[in-house]
Amino acid sequence: MEQILQFILSGLSQGGVYALVAIGFYMMWAATKAANFTHGDIFMLGAVATVSLAAAGVPLILAIPLAILISAFAGALIERFAVRPFNLGPSSIGWMLTTIAIGLMMESALTATYGPLGRPLYSPLAETPIRFGGSGIYAQELLIPAVAIAVMLCLEAFYHRTILGRAMLAVATNRTAAGLMGIDVNQISMIAYAMAAAVGALAGILLAPVAEASPSMGALIGLKAFVVAIVAGIANARGVVIVALSYGVLEKFIEGFISTGARNAIGFAVLILLLLAFPNGIFGKQGVSKV
Amino acid sequence: MSPRIQFWVILVFGLAALYLFRESGPTNYAIGVLTRCMILAIVAVGLNILIGQAGLVSLGQAALYGLGAYVAAWLALRTGMAFLPAVACGIVASGMMGAALAYPSVRVRGVYLAVITIAFGLIFQNILIEWVPVTGGTLGLTGIPRGEAFGVRLTRQIYFWVVAGSLALAFIIQYTLVYSRYGRAMRATAQSENAASALGINVANTRMFAFVVSAALAGLGGGLYTFLNLFVNYETFTFFQSISFLLMVIFGGVGTLAGPLVGAGILTYIPEFFQNFKEWQVFAYGVMLAAVMFLMPAGIVGTIAGLWTYATTRSRAREAKPWPNAAALPAGTLDQATAGKGTTVAEVDRFTIKFGGLTAVNEASLVVRAGEVHGLIGPNGAGKSSMLNLMSGFYRPTSGRMTFASQPTEGLKSHDLARRGLARTFQNTELFGDMTVLDNVLVGCHVHYRSTLVETLLRLPRFLREEREMTERARSLLELVGLTDYADELAKNLPFGHQRRLEIARALALRPRMLLLDEPAAGLTHAEIEQLKELIRILTANGIAIVLVEHHVDMVMNLSSDVTVLDYGLVIASGAPAKIQDDPKVIEAYFGNVQSIPAHAAEPVVS
Repeated sequence: MEQILQFILSGLSQGGVYALVAIGFYMMWAATKAANFTHGDIFMLGAVATVSLAAAGVPLILAIPLAILISAFAGALIERFAVRPFNLGPSSIGWMLTTIAIGLMMESALTATYGPLGRPLYSPLAETPIRFGGSGIYAQELLIPAVAIAVMLCLEAFYHRTILGRAMLAVATNRTAAGLMGIDVNQISMIAYAMAAAVGALAGILLAPVAEASPSMGALIGLKAFVVAIVAGIANARGVVIVALSYGVLEKFIEGFISTGARNAIGFAVLILLLLAFPNGIFGKQGVSKV
Repeated sequence: MSPRIQFWVILVFGLAALYLFRESGPTNYAIGVLTRCMILAIVAVGLNILIGQAGLVSLGQAALYGLGAYVAAWLALRTGMAFLPAVACGIVASGMMGAALAYPSVRVRGVYLAVITIAFGLIFQNILIEWVPVTGGTLGLTGIPRGEAFGVRLTRQIYFWVVAGSLALAFIIQYTLVYSRYGRAMRATAQSENAASALGINVANTRMFAFVVSAALAGLGGGLYTFLNLFVNYETFTFFQSISFLLMVIFGGVGTLAGPLVGAGILTYIPEFFQNFKEWQVFAYGVMLAAVMFLMPAGIVGTIAGLWTYATTRSRAREAKPWPNAAALPAGTLDQATAGKGTTVAEVDRFTIKFGGLTAVNEASLVVRAGEVHGLIGPNGAGKSSMLNLMSGFYRPTSGRMTFASQPTEGLKSHDLARRGLARTFQNTELFGDMTVLDNVLVGCHVHYRSTLVETLLRLPRFLREEREMTERARSLLELVGLTDYADELAKNLPFGHQRRLEIARALALRPRMLLLDEPAAGLTHAEIEQLKELIRILTANGIAIVLVEHHVDMVMNLSSDVTVLDYGLVIASGAPAKIQDDPKVIEAYFGNVQSIPAHAAEPVVS
């Protein structure tokens, strides 16, 4: 029983990371029907930048917003230079390749300068684990899914209650029409990418105290989050968060009951099967193709 | 240069170059490097078909390559299977895996395949490392016996030619596939799913087929790799290798014949140069990929080919001929409409479709007869286009049924209906913009080919005969609409009015029993509308049933035997044009309440 609880809690923690990264994919996708394919590297950038700034003597309270700002800026640049010129229609694939190129560069450049090894980030919430029975969990880990849900709620409010959010929804629904209504669709897209990057970076910073920040930490998480977002239907933030949290828990159960080695193979296989059962994603709507 | 000449030039010069290379007395090392390069080229050729034709991206090609390699290695090592069957099993395994991966993803959106293939690549790595009893774990499988075929031991010297022959085979398959109805169907699905399926092409199957071909070629490469290297290890089949394959295709030139060969060559020899960058090596790859995308999106071969075309093509005057040119229509071009004039071709029985709370079409029925025009009119938003989409299988009705050519259409998709002789055009013309005008019409002929894939790949007589016949038929359809001069122009370069004509010619290539025209006169000049009316008369005279959705009410009244008027999804009137014109309900739908409008306002019913 205790063990099950442990799996669920640490699974939610892991799922929270996926959720925050996957929300970013959702936001980018909604705005442009494309995404930064290597969004996982933005997640990594957030963590690595925070650790580097902290190592340079910048107090955390400043280092964290600064790292988020840097990541958001990187996200905006990626939208402007790697996505926009290469996303010219529904069958465009150029954006995939350019963003992969940038991901490769980011990851290898940081490996060469920051070093390939992970470095921890100090957090008061990751000092003593909360014990229950034989196992325990850091408060930091529980913070992650809580933040994921909070971000989701804020995002929903943002989309429905603010002018900018509504403009973003309008762009997501019909880019051309939104443009004709005087919305600067390019600017909206750029803002969406910057916001997605900020949320992704936040996830990296939250994870760094319990998992160490390294240049290679983002690649796999980014890919998983993308698959999770697609399986969820990439249609709304709530669905993405639900699937992401469940997937995190599923992974811990696979680790616990089968083996750690089988985690990715089985986990991904489940996701592929889910996509087979729900071709439009679990929370996706059957797209009525306007003929 | 025509594709055929390109093909022969590359094949002959390529083989000659390999022969000269061997005659120059290369070291064993040099032979090994070139053999490996050719293996990578085989995989790249497969990926080129996927990206260049079907417009799909695989980011797990290295895993499919690895699957072929591991299957061949395991069979050779554990069961003592000989070279040829082991490689064949590798091909089959990768091909089947390709089908399994493509099935869930290609139905929805192309990008899903990219994501699924990445996931597969990671699963594959995971399994290679963890499933030690079969894969040998991190050590891999070692001590694979050198292959033997037909009693000849495949030494490195001989193996070079085995691989060269396989590459030539892959290259031939690429050519014969691309320049056939299969290649055209793939390009069509990449450019407009809707138009492709309206012409009888099963979009999901076509995409799946493209992916299976590319996976099978990756499997072939893998099997060959096993018997070159004689040991396999998970490190060869990483995500990074998948990116490398992608880079080969893009660098060489997506969709070009020689592109993957050039790309594989560069990517084989460039890493030796990249070694100098040490830890910045991956960075250099990233820079290279980005640089190609920004500076040379057509790739090396594509850029050169573009310059060549630019330099050698003299602009010549093209002019659209008067149309419709009924004399151009040889007997049999439209012969599927065999039913006698006036017999029922399609009968819609109370179609209803709801989008959320909105009922777009509400219990609408109509009957379409051979050789007659059935006009479908109504104010904007009345449900006319929804009705067409229901009839052509693009929408599934909430309730109601349709009989087409004496058979119920329940459960049939748009491409099934097209195969049964239901053609349509689109309100916003949906041409295959990056294909030539002639190819657009040839896609319309797709369903009438009888030659099989094998006949196509081997260029057997039946294929050659059919291709000739279809091209002739397509040309006569172009003559019918007066576009013969534009046959080799890209469809997207045509002026709007000509695009409308081309779309009709393409629909006619299907040899339809029934043709649904969705606002064909929208945006046409007055003269063009008169010509269009003339064309419609020719078609009905040939026995085709036509459903005409139009806002030019006088045109509809002029041509139609029957008219159905929709308003808010309901049929408010139907019958002969004369009866409809005087129907108070129709006048009200168009002009509001009759009492409040002077009587003469109802006269010029032209939009």
